[in-house]
Amino acid sequence: MNSTNRDVAPAEPDAGSAGYGPWRLALRRFLRNRVAVAFLILFFLIVLFVLAAPLWANHVAHTGPNEGHTLEKLHVNGEVREVVTPEGKPIGPQLFEAEGKFFLGADSRLGRDEMVRLMYGGRTSLLIGVISGLITTLLAVVLGLLAGYYKGWVDAVIARTLDVLWSLPVLLFGIAIGTSLALGGVSIGPIHIEGGSIWVPILIISIFYTPYVARPIRGEVLSLGEKEFVEAAIAQGAGPLRVMFGELLPNLASTIVVFFALNIANNMLFEAALSFLGAGVQPPNSSWGTMITVGEELLTTQPLLAIIPGVMIMLTVLSLNIVGDGLRDALDPRSKVRLEAHAGMTEPQGAAV
Amino acid sequence: MKKQRAVIAVLAFAAVAALGLVSCGGGGSSSSSSSGGGGGKEGGVLNATYASFPDYLDPQLSYTQEGWTAMGDVYIPLLTYKHAEGTEGSEVIPGLAKEMPKISNGGKTYTLFLRPGLKYSDGTPVKASDFPYAVERCFKLNSGGSVFYTSIVGAQKYAETKQGGIPGITTNDKTGEIKIELEKPRGTFTNELGLMFVAPIPKGTPMEDLSGNPPPGTGPYMITKSQPGRGWEYERNPYWAKANSKAMPEYPTGHVDGAKITIVRNPDTQVNDIEQGKFDWMENPPPASRYAQVKEKFEGSQFKVVPTISTYYFWMNTTTPPFDDVKVRQAVNYAIDSAALERIYAGQIVASHQILPEGMPGHKTIDLYPHNMEKAKEMLAEANPSDKEITVWTDTESPNKEAGEYYEGVLAELGFKTKLKEINADNYFTVIGNLSTPDLDTGWSDWFQDYPHPNDFFQPLLASESILKTNNGNFAQMNEPKLDKEITELREEQLGPEQEKRYGELDNKYMELAPWAPYGQRTLSTFVSSAINLESVIFNPTFGHYLTSFEFNE
Amino acid sequence: MLRFIVRRIVGMVLVLFVVSILVFLIFNVIPNSPPAQRLAGKNATPTLVKSIEEEWGFDEPLPVQYTTMMKKVFNGELIQYSPRIPVDDRIKEGIPATLSLSIGAGIIWLSLGLLLGYLSAIRAGGWLDRMLTGLAVAGISIPVFLLAPVLIYFLTYKLEIFPNGGYVGLTEDPWGWLQHMILPWFTLAVLSIGFYSRVLRSNMLDVMNEDYVRTARAKGLSERKVMTRHVLRNSLIPITTLFGLDFGATIAGTAIITEVLFNIEGIGSYAAESIGKLELPPIMGITLYGAFFVVFINALVDIAYAYLDPRVRLGSTAR
Repeated sequence: MNSTNRDVAPAEPDAGSAGYGPWRLALRRFLRNRVAVAFLILFFLIVLFVLAAPLWANHVAHTGPNEGHTLEKLHVNGEVREVVTPEGKPIGPQLFEAEGKFFLGADSRLGRDEMVRLMYGGRTSLLIGVISGLITTLLAVVLGLLAGYYKGWVDAVIARTLDVLWSLPVLLFGIAIGTSLALGGVSIGPIHIEGGSIWVPILIISIFYTPYVARPIRGEVLSLGEKEFVEAAIAQGAGPLRVMFGELLPNLASTIVVFFALNIANNMLFEAALSFLGAGVQPPNSSWGTMITVGEELLTTQPLLAIIPGVMIMLTVLSLNIVGDGLRDALDPRSKVRLEAHAGMTEPQGAAV
Repeated sequence: MKKQRAVIAVLAFAAVAALGLVSCGGGGSSSSSSSGGGGGKEGGVLNATYASFPDYLDPQLSYTQEGWTAMGDVYIPLLTYKHAEGTEGSEVIPGLAKEMPKISNGGKTYTLFLRPGLKYSDGTPVKASDFPYAVERCFKLNSGGSVFYTSIVGAQKYAETKQGGIPGITTNDKTGEIKIELEKPRGTFTNELGLMFVAPIPKGTPMEDLSGNPPPGTGPYMITKSQPGRGWEYERNPYWAKANSKAMPEYPTGHVDGAKITIVRNPDTQVNDIEQGKFDWMENPPPASRYAQVKEKFEGSQFKVVPTISTYYFWMNTTTPPFDDVKVRQAVNYAIDSAALERIYAGQIVASHQILPEGMPGHKTIDLYPHNMEKAKEMLAEANPSDKEITVWTDTESPNKEAGEYYEGVLAELGFKTKLKEINADNYFTVIGNLSTPDLDTGWSDWFQDYPHPNDFFQPLLASESILKTNNGNFAQMNEPKLDKEITELREEQLGPEQEKRYGELDNKYMELAPWAPYGQRTLSTFVSSAINLESVIFNPTFGHYLTSFEFNE
Repeated sequence: MLRFIVRRIVGMVLVLFVVSILVFLIFNVIPNSPPAQRLAGKNATPTLVKSIEEEWGFDEPLPVQYTTMMKKVFNGELIQYSPRIPVDDRIKEGIPATLSLSIGAGIIWLSLGLLLGYLSAIRAGGWLDRMLTGLAVAGISIPVFLLAPVLIYFLTYKLEIFPNGGYVGLTEDPWGWLQHMILPWFTLAVLSIGFYSRVLRSNMLDVMNEDYVRTARAKGLSERKVMTRHVLRNSLIPITTLFGLDFGATIAGTAIITEVLFNIEGIGSYAAESIGKLELPPIMGITLYGAFFVVFINALVDIAYAYLDPRVRLGSTAR
């Protein structure tokens, strides 16, 4: 019903025209959300930043990410600066004073270039964060759908498996895996994973967080399952797959998007803890998480070393969250949130109490 | 005003109010007394912190620095070490025994006499037969220290069967005589008699770990309350003043009336606590992140650096290429730069390039391979090893972790194709000590003395008899029969100037073969609050900080 | 209802069984370092290692070791390796501190998370929403091991507002207890506040579009009643699950980093110590204790579902 009710957004100017499919409409809605678009651009800039790592390393900083320069001295403006002082204090940000070398300073007592490590480390962090996020979300959705749809013993088995996963001492797992990796990799049946492979932290993180996303999804599916449209679909003869993926899944879309964006933050941070135990990113390689761990030791002398990678993680997570919000608004035609000129329309009625 | 905003305002106000209340309430600190110049006063209770609970609070079991520090002035063995620092503190002196042992029968028989009138902290008199009881307890509990005493006649059999006592020890409770027969002469035995593993305890002390309720001891202090994982307390041993101090006048009595130890796991917090005077002493050194700061601010008044008798080194597996070639190993020695490592350890390492550290009897400074990267590369090119793919091992504990990463970088610069493997610190030595672990090419290690006798560095680490399938300590898998013979011979003789000279030469001979690239010797530190007299605190190379040496300022 | 409870109890037992097997296997099957070798110390001889193996039963076949260990768990005879004291005692000692930490932090993160999420949702798109989103994201992006040292440095060292850490029992000294708990509560809560507020916001926005909400408004219900009775109640379902998972995990001691950094001698500290020393007995004890709570609380959550969403309750019995 076309209503005059204010909480339904006014019809799109040309929404009624035939030919604009729902996806195209969603895209237009998204693009109109200036804040989301801005953060999408930010995310792409971050990606570009990390992709530019070899360029910076070779042409500006003239060093690799893992090369140590503990005993080197920089000659800047006539003065001599040590990359690492005899007391073990690494040099601070030089910006462009040393022609771009040690732009953000040295990372630790090993005297590596923080900027170069930040860029290379970013690749690892983004890869791990996003891929784990995808795997977790995929697993969680499938398990949640199955459990919520079939209920009964299927649900019981899945729910109990999730309980087991959530109860396992992950740190112990991390140490055990770390050691066994160093001893020659882990073999599960035909799959052999070499030590140092990025897949180790990805798999551990994905599996660990699956219950955290799967259980809420299961809960929502349980509620959704009682709704009339599901009953209707079943009455029409729709099979389980059709119901799960055709009816339930679209209604979970906004939850999935939100959890995915939040999950990436958890993944990036969890990876830091794992790396510290030897089950994550293998040294001397870096990730933003490991850089925070290493920088935390120097918090009182060079706080930037821990803060900068932390800020990078925050920006990435923020962009993904805002873009995620934009996506859910774009995909849901009845969404309350409209960020265009119809700002007045977004005020919930009766907010004054 | 809109309701939601009202809610926010209330919350904000509450938060501010709470903060205000809390800051008025306290948590403030005040150091107890003025920083001291000269002497101190008697009395007071020392409030100290360790970062972790010792492995055991049981004299027969503990094999860590924390444990020995905790029990150093609680359990006195037959012999002990002088309550002093550095080389002076390496001197073995009589403890519960009247005098140094009489050694006869070609070095195989040790005779001692117990001082009369000694009592434990529960009033039980100390008897000569308590000594073999302690030795048996050490074996019965499968203590890591039991290996030092297997040379006693019958001890090996007892270790395996746990029955029948140890025939090699005979005692006479009336005269206080203790006679120990060894299978072979053993020059390190006097040092080993000075370890707490064989400190006498009352006969009948249960044959189980008593960390939760430590047995009575003979020292100036006794442990009165033990909460494993959280802390423990000391009080004065009443029978020290009544009996033991008279029998052992040279042994210090201690200044404080007692101590309370609390485990504080976060070393940063420990440093804060000491600075604010909430704790008087922290047993472990300040973490690397605060070390430089603390040193700068407090050196001389509340902080001093103390040397340890230790060697930090990179071992190289001499049995497989590329490190089976001595030229390659020497090249690595040339390539390592101690100056870089000093920075990596934030100044807590003193450069050293040999097996024996300074402070160890027999030490004579040698530096056969001063840093020279070009020379290293040249030598390596000449040697031209066939296998350039190597695995470098290190543990995850900072700064050893970074030292390992530095080492890997140096090897890569030399032209090796390196792979770094970091193992969790608690697992590390077991993993590299297990010869079935693949790719044990080279890696980091350290060794702190068990007691100040040079054999302790050569035999466990470089003698071929020490190459074991598991729990191996000879990571270089060094196998030089001539040098082995020298080690065995020296071990059977009593340590004197002649032996020290030969140990110095042995050091040189091994370094010529370069099984290791040693880089330094660790320093620890004493960090106390302003209430404590820094000067009086003694750090002994074997037992760590002595409780009897702490005193409050005037 | 009774059938539900019985089934859940059976499920709980199964979960604990599987968890115990997995922990045991992780320890013994993944190539690691055999505990006898580690316990034997740095000068060990093969004789000593063998003695230790016999003493602890490490030379027995794995299934035998497993059953022996499980027997000890049930008899409360589980002993840790060094020092050799009962695991039970340490766990019991650690419970008050961990419970104080979990419950306090839980209340904070739940109430603030819900509040901020609610505000974000009803002001969706506005500046308040954006600011709260920013805060939420900041909260979840800061790792605990960075936040805690920063807080400790500024608030206990530079400005001595709070004590340096440690735990004081509630019954001993309520004011001290509070002072010691505030920073750890905050550190632990910050991450979850962000998460929960985002989830609630998303759910509320979804629900606000539902037909029945429009109906309620059309009926003339006040906005507040609409929000609380209809929107909020239906948005809380995922929150309940999350809270069950998080709270269960915190009681189980996963707040390891927080406990260690703030020197709180709870289960988390004990877990950190045992994992660091690779001691299987305490790890097994703590994990089983924790798994019990996880399953128990999740069971409660499932019951809460039935309450919050009558369709679930009625739906399943109607089938």
